[in-house]
Amino acid sequence: MRIEGRTALLLLTPALGLMAVLYVVPLAVYLVNGLHAFRDGRIVPVWTLETTRRFFADPFSYRVIWASLRLSFIVTALTLGIGYPLAYALHTRVARPGARVVTGLLLFSPLVVSVVVRTYGWLILLADRGLVNTLLRQAGLIQAPLGLLFNLTGVVVSLTHILLPFAVFPIYSVLSRLDWTLAEAARDLGADWQQVFVRITLPQSMPGVVAASLICFTLSLSAFVTPQLLGGGRVQVLPLDVYNSTVEINWPEGAVAATVLLVLSLAAVWTLGRALRLVSAA
Amino acid sequence: MALSGGAPVEVRHLLKRFGTTAAVDDVTFTVGGGEFFSLLGPSGCGKTTTLRVIGGFERADAGHVLIDGRPMGQLPPNRRETYMVFQRLALFPHYHVFDNVAFGLRMKRLPEVEVRRRAREALALVRLEGMETRRISELSGGQQQRVALARALVNRPRVLLLDEPLSALDLKLRLQMQEELKRLQRELGTTFIYVTHDQGEAMAMSDRVGVMDAGRLLQVGTPLDIYERPQTPFVAHFIGDANLIQGTVDALEPRTIAVRAGALRIHAHRDGWERLGAPISVCIRPERVWVAAAGDSAGGLRGRIEDRAFVGQAVKYRIDVDGLPLRASVPYRSGTPLFAVGETVAVGWDAGQAVPVPADGGGFEHADVADRRDLRPAGPASA
Repeated sequence: MRIEGRTALLLLTPALGLMAVLYVVPLAVYLVNGLHAFRDGRIVPVWTLETTRRFFADPFSYRVIWASLRLSFIVTALTLGIGYPLAYALHTRVARPGARVVTGLLLFSPLVVSVVVRTYGWLILLADRGLVNTLLRQAGLIQAPLGLLFNLTGVVVSLTHILLPFAVFPIYSVLSRLDWTLAEAARDLGADWQQVFVRITLPQSMPGVVAASLICFTLSLSAFVTPQLLGGGRVQVLPLDVYNSTVEINWPEGAVAATVLLVLSLAAVWTLGRALRLVSAA
Repeated sequence: MALSGGAPVEVRHLLKRFGTTAAVDDVTFTVGGGEFFSLLGPSGCGKTTTLRVIGGFERADAGHVLIDGRPMGQLPPNRRETYMVFQRLALFPHYHVFDNVAFGLRMKRLPEVEVRRRAREALALVRLEGMETRRISELSGGQQQRVALARALVNRPRVLLLDEPLSALDLKLRLQMQEELKRLQRELGTTFIYVTHDQGEAMAMSDRVGVMDAGRLLQVGTPLDIYERPQTPFVAHFIGDANLIQGTVDALEPRTIAVRAGALRIHAHRDGWERLGAPISVCIRPERVWVAAAGDSAGGLRGRIEDRAFVGQAVKYRIDVDGLPLRASVPYRSGTPLFAVGETVAVGWDAGQAVPVPADGGGFEHADVADRRDLRPAGPASA
């Protein structure tokens, strides 16, 4: 169906208006602060690159950027590593429709519960006297509790859990659209099932993998609640930096950090978008 | 390309169920080494399922497949000597032409020099030299067809399975590919098992044809055999055009039989199995029916022209003979007089050209077959 230009504009207006009022304008207002200065506990509304220069001169900034990227890379790798086999199994092994619905519900259940509640759930599981440590100790596998909380491990575990459905869904949808006679043809030509997977299924499902990476990477990069509650101050990532600066009324520094975050996200979108075009063209 | 030497294929009492329906119901046939054998039938008759069992893509519920005398059991497709050309080709879209063709050789881990030589040979065989680095999406339907053939043939299969490989092509290209397939099969000596719903295609290419319907193999024979001696009303209808007249055997003579059909008494060839008083069908091909002006003293039956169609090389009449609809196809040469609709004519046929067919269906089967034939895409035979 083709829609006339004016009708299309009319249909888009509510969404565009909402985006403009609730997102673009506040973001611009906030980010403009990055061009102001913060002196003696006050925002000084002069136009200057002083704050930006200070941010990039501070070694702490680089540690935060690196921590953010590292967290996102680890979580993306883990969600793909767990999510791909899950999507593949869901598509190829779970044949009965009932079983498929149940698996899907289980998979998407984290999305029904608030991030805060889920994060506290992990707090209970991962604490020194929590379920995981207690079980491991009773099994005699460890003497002292493993430090699973208030460090990178806890944040990674919880974020991976939260983002898993975002990895499974795009991969599953690509897998379910694949032409499976290609796999049969490869089998016929002498490939065993591992070779079929490596040479046919995996390359054909790359668009799903790239889409999953894009979603998981950008969501990890901007994750706030999980690093805040489970990081115990030891996982300093950009969103925390933005938050901390803002509550200290240091809007200029928060704005610079937010801009860096935005640029990193856009860079990820651009890179993976290019990757998607490359794998789709092949 | 070296000759691979076609392997004989034996299918014994094959049974395959999907749910409660038998897709393949006790099918038995033998294909000789180097033979071009077709499985012919309407869609849903079980021909593709039979082919997929031979290739190892489906497990039979009962029965055996033997290739070169060896039972295949549950061997997966990658461990059989059969190669398949798929209906929708199933070319790998993320590889270019050469890598598609080389796929099977690389799976065998042949040295790369050998892979290159043989893949080029296979591409030359299907006349696709110089297309090595093209992407699949850049090829025409006919070229894709050739790549699919080369991808299978490069492995020097002893048995090639073809699942309606030409159905996506237009008529002209299809006829051209039919000749090409026949040429390849002759040159390579490979056993071809070819599945199609197009009787013209099966007749034109095959050494022998097996006709299937509703999971059962009804008749196996040379195209001539099947055309001249259909053993069931279904086969008579499915292969070519047929007048099928139901009746009972009225008299047995040394070379012919007389059949009473309603008010008519007609004569047909005697095969020897006919029983006096038993129900029987008589198959008369429209092109064996002659039509003459009623006044001539040629004898035969009286009929009235109901409909006439001039198709170039022939004139097709629909004639009512005492309530019996009869179709006739009269060869046309310049000057042949045409009969008008409504005209009364004399019709008849040589008793030796009317073939007795065991009556197993009756009127229902008659209509059923006609319906299904209408659903088929136009092929060379129906065009």
